[in-house]
Amino acid sequence: MIVCVAVVGHQNNPLYIQSFTEADDALKLHHIVHCSLDVVDERVNNPKKSGPLLNETFLGLLYPIENFKVYGYLTNTKVKFILVTTDLDVKDADVRNFFRRFHAAYVDAVSNPFHVPGKKITSRTFAERVSTIVKSFGLTSAV
Amino acid sequence: MMDPATTPLGQMLLEEITPVVMVLSTPSVEDSSLKNGLSFLHLLTPFCSFNNIDVPVRTASDQPYRLHKFKLRLFYASDVRRPDLKVAKERLKQVITEAGEKVFSELASDVPHIDHEHASSEYRNTPSWFQFLNKELVRVASFSDHEAFDHPVACILAVSSNDEGPINRFVDLYNSNKLPSLLNGGAMDPNILKHYLLVHDNQDGPAERASKIFTEMRSTFGTSDCSLLCINSSVDAPIKHQVNPWASHMSDASLSQGLGCFLNTDDINEIKNLMQNLSSKYIIPNMEQKIRELNQQVSATRKGFRNQIKNLWWRKGKEDGADSPNGPMYNYSSIESQIRVLGDYAFMLRDYELALSNYRLISTDYKIDKAWKRYAGVQEMMGLTYFMLDQSRKEAEYCMENAFSTYVKLGSLGQQNATRCGLWWIEMLKARDQYKEAATVYFRICGEDILHSAVMLEQASYCYMLCKPSMLRKYGFHLVLSGEQYKKCNQIKHAIRTYRNALSVLKGSTWSYINDHVHFHIGQWYASLGMYDVAVKHMMEILACSHQSKATQELFLSDFLQTVKKTGRTFEVTKLQLPVINISSIKVIFEDYRTFGSPSAANIREALWNSLEEEMLPSFSTAKSNWLELQSKLIPKKNSQSNVCIAGEAVKVNIEFKNPLQIPIPISGVALICRHSGSTDEARSDENQSNMEKNNEIDHFREMSSDNTSFSVSEVDFSLGGGETTMVQLSVTPSVEGTLSILGVRWKLSGTIIGFHNFESSHPKKNIVKGRRKSNYSPNNMFKFMVIKSIPKLQGSVRHLPGKAYAGDLRQLVLELRNPSDFPVKNLKMKISHPRFLTIGNPEHIKSEFPACLTKKIDSVNNDAQANPGIMSDTVFMFPEDTSIQGENPFLWPLWFRAAFPGDISLCMSIYYEIGDISSVIRYRTLRLHYNVQILPSLDVSFQISPSRMRMQEFLVRLDVVNKTSSESFQVYQLSSVGKHWEISLLQPPDTIFPLQSLMAGQAISCFFTLKNSRLLTSEANEPAMHVRSDLSLVPQSSDNLVFNINNAPLINFHHFESIAKSYTDQGDLNTVDFVLISRSLKSDNNSGLSDPPCVMSHHACHLSTASTGPISWLVDGPRTLQHDFSASFCEINLKMHLYNSSHATAIVRIDTLDSAGSGGVVQSPTSDIQAGWHDVTPTTPTSEPKVTSNAFETQLKKALSLDSVSPYIWSGSSSTNLHLEPMSSVETPLQICVFSPGTYDLSSYVLNWKLSSKGHGGGDETKQQSGKCQGYKYYITVLQSS
Repeated sequence: MIVCVAVVGHQNNPLYIQSFTEADDALKLHHIVHCSLDVVDERVNNPKKSGPLLNETFLGLLYPIENFKVYGYLTNTKVKFILVTTDLDVKDADVRNFFRRFHAAYVDAVSNPFHVPGKKITSRTFAERVSTIVKSFGLTSAV
Repeated sequence: MMDPATTPLGQMLLEEITPVVMVLSTPSVEDSSLKNGLSFLHLLTPFCSFNNIDVPVRTASDQPYRLHKFKLRLFYASDVRRPDLKVAKERLKQVITEAGEKVFSELASDVPHIDHEHASSEYRNTPSWFQFLNKELVRVASFSDHEAFDHPVACILAVSSNDEGPINRFVDLYNSNKLPSLLNGGAMDPNILKHYLLVHDNQDGPAERASKIFTEMRSTFGTSDCSLLCINSSVDAPIKHQVNPWASHMSDASLSQGLGCFLNTDDINEIKNLMQNLSSKYIIPNMEQKIRELNQQVSATRKGFRNQIKNLWWRKGKEDGADSPNGPMYNYSSIESQIRVLGDYAFMLRDYELALSNYRLISTDYKIDKAWKRYAGVQEMMGLTYFMLDQSRKEAEYCMENAFSTYVKLGSLGQQNATRCGLWWIEMLKARDQYKEAATVYFRICGEDILHSAVMLEQASYCYMLCKPSMLRKYGFHLVLSGEQYKKCNQIKHAIRTYRNALSVLKGSTWSYINDHVHFHIGQWYASLGMYDVAVKHMMEILACSHQSKATQELFLSDFLQTVKKTGRTFEVTKLQLPVINISSIKVIFEDYRTFGSPSAANIREALWNSLEEEMLPSFSTAKSNWLELQSKLIPKKNSQSNVCIAGEAVKVNIEFKNPLQIPIPISGVALICRHSGSTDEARSDENQSNMEKNNEIDHFREMSSDNTSFSVSEVDFSLGGGETTMVQLSVTPSVEGTLSILGVRWKLSGTIIGFHNFESSHPKKNIVKGRRKSNYSPNNMFKFMVIKSIPKLQGSVRHLPGKAYAGDLRQLVLELRNPSDFPVKNLKMKISHPRFLTIGNPEHIKSEFPACLTKKIDSVNNDAQANPGIMSDTVFMFPEDTSIQGENPFLWPLWFRAAFPGDISLCMSIYYEIGDISSVIRYRTLRLHYNVQILPSLDVSFQISPSRMRMQEFLVRLDVVNKTSSESFQVYQLSSVGKHWEISLLQPPDTIFPLQSLMAGQAISCFFTLKNSRLLTSEANEPAMHVRSDLSLVPQSSDNLVFNINNAPLINFHHFESIAKSYTDQGDLNTVDFVLISRSLKSDNNSGLSDPPCVMSHHACHLSTASTGPISWLVDGPRTLQHDFSASFCEINLKMHLYNSSHATAIVRIDTLDSAGSGGVVQSPTSDIQAGWHDVTPTTPTSEPKVTSNAFETQLKKALSLDSVSPYIWSGSSSTNLHLEPMSSVETPLQICVFSPGTYDLSSYVLNWKLSSKGHGGGDETKQQSGKCQGYKYYITVLQSS
């Protein structure tokens, strides 16, 4: 189950962060997402580890923490997408697929002429779309 | 790669894994050493580490090597055991608490900023007490029976020369009952190297007795194993040692002063020699020997293929043995223990190769035996050996990992060992710059003990910082985690410290949730420590947390207010974020020569006022805006940059306050902070200012706010609901001349905390109303005023001005002016922005009744129209010279208001006056009044004029009136034409037009009039006596006899402005007519939205043209029907054409008749010559309905004609006639046609070409048509066959 998704701007400022748990752990998830930026930075600055795929946007598993797994994705405008999940055996393909759809949703959201680049994403449509994607994440992995 | 021995871990190992020497001493030995403030053990300890010895060592191999550094660890026999866990924990806790206190007190007031460059310096930011603490943690795990390096290799037996029977005491000391369990329990060989030491205290007397005992000892225990130590030789006075060797070994630095005070240099040298001898001559050789012995034994039993097979087989057989966590017990004599001892000895003598081979050997055995703790211990040592050998990092890490996880698996038994192992592993990783991995190990050694894990988490966080590149976010996160743990075990000071460090990471980031959390907790914790000031400072950071939920906001705010309350005083802060002040909204409104009648007037753009006042203000030089410059010349130079305000008159500042929270917040005592200085003591105020800069800002403000003798400020209280924004107007009124500066604003939140906001420090861009010379002002000057002495200020208002009115509404208003001051004003002038809406009346109007004053008096019928043309001009209105405004009585002047067109209108009026007697910087002032009026649509009036075909200079007028209101009913009362040349008359009686006498809401009506140009009738004589009926009452005469005089003020004035508004250039055109329609609202209808229903309304229509084409009008006159006997002859019809020239020039007209051959009477196609030709009435009618019908009619007619008129008519007589038409004259010319058969004929097939002679007109204006061509209009004639 996905517990949190986040969009982080190129200056590492949070643009959108949404948790999908009932529990009041927003702060914890904020911390986890915040910390994951360190790993993203490391991945980006160490081309050795990222391997031959230089243009790969998907950063893979960033780090496991407590009972969560954190995945990352970096767009070519240096916007990061972070996914926090509780699933222990996640297929890379699923995550990739998720990020691809999430990216599309993000692109649509920021294409809104009323969206100010670098400011938080407040679009309700985006939120709805993200929650649909998040819900379908569980389903596709089950199928 | 650096030498492993120089790394922190290497040094730690060289210090910690060294031979242990057990010390046994008699109480008298302790007594004599205690004279120096030291126990016997401590007395010896500083001399146990040897940094420059040179001892040859030969272990298993034949190749000897040399040791240069060596260290012995001394322990009392009672301490040679596993440390008590509880005591150790207590001790750790104490260490941490002490460190907390110490570090906390050193804590700098501001958060250190950490960036990537900073982080690179190792250990710079890590607290030093970590190392000490880690050492303690390592020691907790010492003296375990599963490892041999803590086993004593030798034993010092110390007996004093004072003791009774010293030889026996030596024997007693090494009594097996008192020996530690390690030796007794069989874990190690109790038969260890013993050294007999006789201690002689020189203070007790000469050394004879001692030397006697010493010889006895030598004979008993053997010469080599005995030594004599004389201490306390300094009898006379205590010695102060320059470099005190004991100081560094004592935990408490304060006691180190008197240490060793009775030991002179000889004593110290003696101890030094003793220990060096002991180590190099006895302990090291003894260890060497033991190594060789054990090595031989091990080689014999375990080396070689055969032995290995045997060993394996033997172990297999033992498999079903006791499976206790410790595995089977191993006696010191067992081969496993011996191998371990061999390895440890080799390690201590730094023969790492040998040690490693033995550890490897034993490791598999323990694994097979499932002796997990021993296995882990060996793995740990293997890892360390690999590290010291600087070989195979992978192996080293693998071993450490293995050891660590094995210890962890053991649970509580292996807890301390796991910690120690982890710490060594971490050090190993750190030595290799693998900080990230080190951090994860720290994370793993967080045990169940909260305090422990707090410390470990904090250390982990420092590792993240030391990473390359540093992972500051993880650093922050782990600090927060660690702070949480510290908090849980009441180490609040540590918690604060960690959180504060975490702040350095978060500073400037937009991760507001995390930021809020950290600030809030720091605040709470500081508050719990009673440091409310700092607590408040931190809590203030999070007050404006609009992103948080409502509950959180309430929590934050209530906690904050509680903390503030606890401080016990009203708190004063400069950066209070509640409420938020919208800096860009700040507007300063002040009155210098410009004064405002209402706040709304101040909001009007300055440029608007300037354009309005342009003509009124005296201009001192040619340049347009130079009056301001000139004024500034009058002001002393140094003040030329500042604004001017007048003593006793308020300077207002509009500030917008916004509540970012969802909960309401009460704000009180909002006031401006100002500074006033007298004009004379300029120097003193400068001095003041410099003093103030030294003080802090708050004090500065407080001082300012207390001083208000020379000015008074207004205070405002309000409450801001959730998310609300309020504009507040604050004012300051200076009472004395001088300089006034507005520094900022202060307010009180919830009655407890006072916030300040400094205008000057914020935002350089200010939205100042008086922005005329904006570029010249620095922001500070915007808030700086030169106060001059009080001068008169007029107050004015317009009475009875409605807020809402229907279009056309005409009202009488009164302008009221007051001058409360004692000084007179003179030269009053006034200008109004919208003369269409507001005109200036006559003073006599004020007495007369409205609307009666608008009606025509019976006696003064010829009341001349342009009574006062001065008013008509749209320039400045001058009040009479003798106008004086002073004192209580208001000065009244009538104004006329007429709602000219629908919409929202802002009316601006500016009144100029000069100040009478006083000499002042300001010589004149203007009073600016501003009103907003909303004007609703009422009646929509349109006129259509078409020439009458019956008579020359007569026109048919169609009036369409639509009531556009939703509820109001109006009575259309009177229609008048403006001027004396037009006479109007009704075609129908008014009763038939308005059967209800009123026009209901939404109703539309049309009525027709005839309009006659009376000038034609009166001809050139133009006798004024001739009364022209230009007013037409549209109500039955019986009801009301009032006739409104539209040629009198104010109606004529308004009409004038209306016609200007239509902007016709040809005002003198005689062919245009202006109408005024007067209507009244019906009094009975009271449910309208207006409080004050309109009484009289006037609608003006200007410049309606009568002649649609040119100056020539004509009329064809003749019979319409006639009978003729066509059997006798064809019919000749005589017609007359009347032509009239309405222009001022002579016209030459040519009439061309066109004989149409085929199509005869059929009219020309309607597309040709539309603009030039005459049209029927219908095409010009804008209202669609009649047009449609008439078009249909026309086409029908055409069809009928084209079918019927087979026989056309012909024009007889001349086909072209030329005529000269004098200006304003008419002429008649005959026409004749011949008709051959009965039928209906359209006599429109002629063309009028006209040309104005330009001589008479003298060039004229070009816009006027000089010549033209007109198509004949339809004239139907019907000829019938006479019977």
